[in-house]
Amino acid sequence: MPALLILIPLLAILALNLPWKSLMNRLAFWVGLALCLVQTGLALQPQSRFWHSPSLWLGNLLLFEPSVDHLSLVMFLAIGIVGAVTLFVCRYSTACAGNRFMVINVLILALTGMNGVVLANDLFSLYVFLEITAVASYILIAFEKGRDAFEGAFKYLILSAVATVMILAALALLMLTAGDLSFAAIQAAIASSPHSRVVLAAIALLMVGLFIKGGLVPFHGWLPDAYSAAPAAASVLLAGIVTKTTGIYTLIRLVTSVIGYNDTLQTLLLFVGAASMLIGALAALGQSDFKRMLAYSSISQVGYMVLGLGAGTVLGMVGAIFHLFNHAIFKSLLFVNAAAVEQQSGTRDMNRMGGLAEKMPVTGWTSVVAFLSTAGIPPLAGFWSKLIIIVALWEAGYTTYAALAVLASLLTLAYFLSMQRRVFFGKLAAGFESLKEGNLWILVPACVLALITIGIGVGIPWLFETFMLPIRSLL
Amino acid sequence: MIEHLQAIFATSIIFIILLSVTALYCMLVSRNLIRILIGLELLIKAVTLLIALTGYLTGRMALAQTFIITLIVIEVVVIAIAAGIVIGAHRHNQSLDVRTLRNLKG
Repeated sequence: MPALLILIPLLAILALNLPWKSLMNRLAFWVGLALCLVQTGLALQPQSRFWHSPSLWLGNLLLFEPSVDHLSLVMFLAIGIVGAVTLFVCRYSTACAGNRFMVINVLILALTGMNGVVLANDLFSLYVFLEITAVASYILIAFEKGRDAFEGAFKYLILSAVATVMILAALALLMLTAGDLSFAAIQAAIASSPHSRVVLAAIALLMVGLFIKGGLVPFHGWLPDAYSAAPAAASVLLAGIVTKTTGIYTLIRLVTSVIGYNDTLQTLLLFVGAASMLIGALAALGQSDFKRMLAYSSISQVGYMVLGLGAGTVLGMVGAIFHLFNHAIFKSLLFVNAAAVEQQSGTRDMNRMGGLAEKMPVTGWTSVVAFLSTAGIPPLAGFWSKLIIIVALWEAGYTTYAALAVLASLLTLAYFLSMQRRVFFGKLAAGFESLKEGNLWILVPACVLALITIGIGVGIPWLFETFMLPIRSLL
Repeated sequence: MIEHLQAIFATSIIFIILLSVTALYCMLVSRNLIRILIGLELLIKAVTLLIALTGYLTGRMALAQTFIITLIVIEVVVIAIAAGIVIGAHRHNQSLDVRTLRNLKG
């Protein structure tokens, strides 16, 4: 009954907008949290009957029968965790209850859309759910009606709409060759005529569209603007999971189960991945806005995932998916910390900060865990996923790319050390004497995410056996 | 029959390509936010035509019709939100010029 993951959030939005306003205002947060936690709990039990039993009367409302494999489960887990964290951040940073109610509604809509993207097994539903997610995220970015927010949202909207048009054109061309839109039919059609011009044009359009959606170099222009202008909760959701679901997950899914690997595609993926990884890291070095730096770091980490995918081996793909999950955890944690710092100090300019760890110890130390994990320091989670990607590249014979990945990891460490020193360590900057640590709404998610990062790093053998290895059935 | 279909495909695809080039030119050249949205609309119209064409050529008109209706609905939602964003930007900048959206860089 995995279709319920789409239908229940939709019904929850309808129910929350019934006329009992004050009751619903209070209830919205808990309803959203319950949805996220139930989803997380279910995703942790791959054997559960929920995933395998056929749809009952409610599930039949969907016109497609969703299929679930381990890749989908990893995505559901990440979506559940990041969704719950976003709700906490929203509770912390949005003071007005009415606004919070609306944000939570749109947030549940975004969760619906992302669950749909993960469940979709034909291009038509994939397109519909991509658009639902995208629309929800435009609203979330522009929600606080600031000047920068409108600018970031407009750039995102235009580029994302152009990407959608490209995906649609690809879809029409694929329909022309296959006569149908289900993944299986299109895969068969591509396999029977891999070199026809229509198929090649369709694949090229599809790739460019997904690269724009995922914010890969050279199509990354919108990403730093949208992330840094968005309200705190929206940037956690966007950076943590939205662009990874709409861009990277879709890319992984389409490459593995529709298009299939070939040399040209692999070269393209490796090149784009390496370019994103290096350019993102180099651009992050020069930033002074906290959230903007994290956005560029996000581009760089997405580059790793695409690089792992481009290796074309099972190990590379396991690494890419594992890094996607880890990225959802540690990048959300960094954006949670950025939200706490921005809310408490009122600025995002790193040059004006300094020594904040003295006043905000929990935020400072969870940020250390997150950035060490991002930079790939053992034994934290990020180390293992980067290690798997680099080993996969090496084994597949792409030694140059493996060396570049190691180099980019050093760059990551460099810009995060600079960030940590400028923001949290050193002498307390002038004007921050009365700074206080944030309240429990922000500290709880920060600590939970830090514990997950450490836990994955330490418990890697168990995790690798139960969650990662089953992914190999995809290829 | 096959030649007939191929002829239809060739003429329609030229028209679709012309329409999308016009739309992209409109989006790239104009400095007015509303005009950019109009360019976007044109681009979506071109792709809608492409889907209708493939539906006709493959004989799956029903699939293409459901698809196009869904596409139109989604497109309206996106354009409504885009228009809202343009109105918001106009309130802040008192101008629809795209060059006013230059605050974020680096």
